[in-house]
Amino acid sequence: MRSGDFKETYGELVALTDSKPVWLWSLMLVAALIVAPYLLNSYALSFLTIILITAVGALGLNILTGYTGLISLGHVGFLVTGAYAYAVVVSKYGMPPMVGFLAAGIVPALASLVVGAPSLRLKGLYLAITTLAFSFIINTVILEARTITNGARGISVQRPEIFGVSFDSDAAFTHLCLGFAIVTLFSTLNIRRSRVGRAFVAIRDNDTAAHVMGINLHAYKLFAFVTSAFITGIAGALYGIYLSFVSVEGFPFLLSIEALAILIVGGLGSALGAVLGTILIVLLPEATRMLFSLFSAQMDALFSTGAQELKSMLYGLVIILFLRFQPRGLVGAWHDIRRLWVNWPLRY
Amino acid sequence: MIKYFATASLLLAGAYLAGGHALAADPGITDTEIVLGDVEPLTGPPALLGVAASIGHKIAIAETNSAGGINGRKIKYVLEDDGYVTARTIQGVRKVIDVDKVFAMLGISGSGQSIAVMPVLEKAGIPTVIDVAPVKFLWEPPRKNVFVVGQSYEEGIIHLVTYLAEKNPGRKWGLITQDDDYGITVRDGFDTVVKAKKLNVVYSGNYKKGQQDFSSDMLQLKESGAEVFLAGGIIGENIAMMKELEKLNIKPVVGIFWPGRVEPVLKLMGPPGDGIFAVDYVEPFAGAAGKAFLEKAKPLVSEAEFKGINRYTMSGYAAAKVLIAAIERCGKEPSWVCTIAELEKTRSVETGVMAPISFGPGVRFSNQKLQIMQAEFSTLSFKPVN
Amino acid sequence: MQYLIQLLVSGLAIGAIYGLIAMGFAVIYKSTGLVNFAQGEMTMIVAYVAWTISTTVSGNVFVVAIGAILAAIVLGFVIERVVMRPMLGEPVFATVMVTIGLAVILRSSINFIWDAYPHGLDIGVGRTIIRFGSIGVRTGQIAVIATLLLLLAAIWAFFRYGKFGIAMRAVAADDRTALLMGISATRVHAIAWAASSVIAGIAGVFFALSYDLSPAMFQLGLKAFPATILGGLDAVLGSGIGGLLIGITENLAGGYLGSGMKEVAGFAMIIVVLMIRPFGIFGERDIERV
Repeated sequence: MRSGDFKETYGELVALTDSKPVWLWSLMLVAALIVAPYLLNSYALSFLTIILITAVGALGLNILTGYTGLISLGHVGFLVTGAYAYAVVVSKYGMPPMVGFLAAGIVPALASLVVGAPSLRLKGLYLAITTLAFSFIINTVILEARTITNGARGISVQRPEIFGVSFDSDAAFTHLCLGFAIVTLFSTLNIRRSRVGRAFVAIRDNDTAAHVMGINLHAYKLFAFVTSAFITGIAGALYGIYLSFVSVEGFPFLLSIEALAILIVGGLGSALGAVLGTILIVLLPEATRMLFSLFSAQMDALFSTGAQELKSMLYGLVIILFLRFQPRGLVGAWHDIRRLWVNWPLRY
Repeated sequence: MIKYFATASLLLAGAYLAGGHALAADPGITDTEIVLGDVEPLTGPPALLGVAASIGHKIAIAETNSAGGINGRKIKYVLEDDGYVTARTIQGVRKVIDVDKVFAMLGISGSGQSIAVMPVLEKAGIPTVIDVAPVKFLWEPPRKNVFVVGQSYEEGIIHLVTYLAEKNPGRKWGLITQDDDYGITVRDGFDTVVKAKKLNVVYSGNYKKGQQDFSSDMLQLKESGAEVFLAGGIIGENIAMMKELEKLNIKPVVGIFWPGRVEPVLKLMGPPGDGIFAVDYVEPFAGAAGKAFLEKAKPLVSEAEFKGINRYTMSGYAAAKVLIAAIERCGKEPSWVCTIAELEKTRSVETGVMAPISFGPGVRFSNQKLQIMQAEFSTLSFKPVN
Repeated sequence: MQYLIQLLVSGLAIGAIYGLIAMGFAVIYKSTGLVNFAQGEMTMIVAYVAWTISTTVSGNVFVVAIGAILAAIVLGFVIERVVMRPMLGEPVFATVMVTIGLAVILRSSINFIWDAYPHGLDIGVGRTIIRFGSIGVRTGQIAVIATLLLLLAAIWAFFRYGKFGIAMRAVAADDRTALLMGISATRVHAIAWAASSVIAGIAGVFFALSYDLSPAMFQLGLKAFPATILGGLDAVLGSGIGGLLIGITENLAGGYLGSGMKEVAGFAMIIVVLMIRPFGIFGERDIERV
């Protein structure tokens, strides 16, 4: 039992964690993830890859919506822009994949300046719909710019080969995604505990007060957009490589809603929430499918052609029930479990 | 200290239980069963195509099983839903190959989705017969283990437009296509005939997928004076377009494409839909072959499934028959190598729902014969012309 | 000239449908402070129920209309009681997510209870085409525009003068204070959801009449959000007018700029308007305390 938790330097105050066991367990988790691609079969590996890619995207959205409080319903626009940037640079112009990833970050970042500038005065749902509008406009621009993007034909993408290492095999590609995910996670955590992160959170909590205290709203909001778009663009590039085909079809509007669902179910405003939310939302369809397959024979007999829809209904039901009983999200649940574990057998 | 041991053992137990399922391996082809796999959109609006295709597979499988199976082994059908989302198609195919360990694949969802899963199928080397969305990318270049039954979208449009051009010489043409890869193939086919026959195209529009209101588009068509119109929508779009044309009081010669050639479309179009032309490579239900197919299917499927039968059921049935015939020719111990070889040797296999199917060395496309049909509102069916 | 008028008329017709759904959306926001992402799906369900009534019970337009309205009221009450009541007092984001979950359930239930094929709504009226010169319009389309205008007038009067309308605004402003003042927040919420469901249901039935009934109908909701934003989230009248504006802009863009620009034009207009008036054309400025 701890009797007191005293920080004596600023360094200790902003440290990611103050306990060695946390670092140890984290390292073990990373080691497990590195070894996992060799142990899992292709199907489970696909889940791991998607979780990692989606986590990068969710962390990107987290900076904008979780930290700065600017709701974005059009984040899939940055995802698809990043994917196309990578595809055009690497597949069409034959440049090295690292340049492709850089482009996949920079092009959406520039696009986000266009999106962010008119949005500076907007709040809440007004901002959300504006971002939604922009995602549709981005789709149209991509479809119309046929000379660069092949229009509706899409662009085929190969697995990258970086510095001589080929990422063609599934295991190697998962390692690449793991690398990006870890870098993104640390970047996000660092942003959060820096001056910039504190400004973001101040804007989220009450932007008029933040303005009064001297935070340049316009600059920081634009910076939030740019950073968020950069990270999401890289996630888009990874997703495009995974699908091995980049087209507007592969990035439906549904992904924006899913990203928001991930953040809310995970717990808005925390990087851990984004990661936990990703794991839950990506695995939920599989869980409902497994649950469903236990009863599938009876369901098929009862409902025949419509039976598959029960899975989607179960999905929606789980989300509703989860939020009903744990509105603070998975992070809330995690904190409850942790509190129980630390204080047991005492109550508090 | 104890806490740490407790945590560690809990985590390990959890990982074992979770990973156990992923690490397990199932037997593939057994002494009593052959497993066929498929991934289709079974939920959402595209379900009416995906479910119909799967019903076609089920009919062929039920027919074979009731006749004793393939050389004594019953066929089991594993069907995964992808909801028309490409990432889920890839996952579904991986699951069906690695976890369910199927022997061969049928399907596989829409055109964009089947393009995306090509690398997975090629890497696995599993014998595959595609029947739902035949697009050139699937057989050009030919892949060793992937066979496509049907006709390419481009060829279908070329056939329809050529027929309409010959029957309506010297007229003004209008075209509207969806702004996605499906619409591009329609447009490509159309442009080929425009160049070959020097057609006069006065209206060429495209619409974003999901558009439901076509009032301005059809008004533009009217203003342009087009007399022959190729409606490149799927189902709801074509219905909306025909109703707009009725409202605007113009009656061009209209052609539609087979993804929208389902009978409920005629019911919804109403009298304005009478006499529209369509092209397809499967037999119309109003013809003798179509009626025979429905007779065959009725005892083998449930009532709700019977209601869900449309032209995709026929193409699915044909593909399944071809695959089953090839596996059967491999005798007592079928293998992937043998099945692929036998599929390649497929010559003029009769399925009763389309022209005889053939493949060949290096030929992975069955290049089905097309026929033109015309809609008849009074009977709510498509009748072959000529 | 004829071209322009035909475009305007068609634009008003589809815009009226967007406007009705947007009004339903705004009613819920004005009364509960919530964003209802399931609005399009609620529209779809009421339309499907109306179709079932027309095919099983009677095709008479009054029977179907009354049946649809009753079904919509029941749907609204049930959703409010079962799904939204437990979320009273919880953070807004969680409640909004719940509506998204609800949208998923409602969307899947269409394929589950009915099927994936498109159907036509046949109630004997609304199909006939009236022609003014070379301009054609269906009676159903005229009816939906008339219904929208009627509802606009009725709702304006309700919120301005009706005691219940004032109660709704009170609950939206602060539901705990409203409770202290003796307003039954739960009753207000229930009625708001039922009213919104009815308005959206009417839109759905009109849409099914002019176009068709299909599981893709929920996409109308996607068009309605921008309409609400354009008019102002808490302005019910504004939402209706916003819907009309979007319908007209879409059609004009489609007719003069080309079909590809249709969707984008509506959205581009919203962005331009929001830059000038950040709370929508008729919306009220949100006053925040620091």
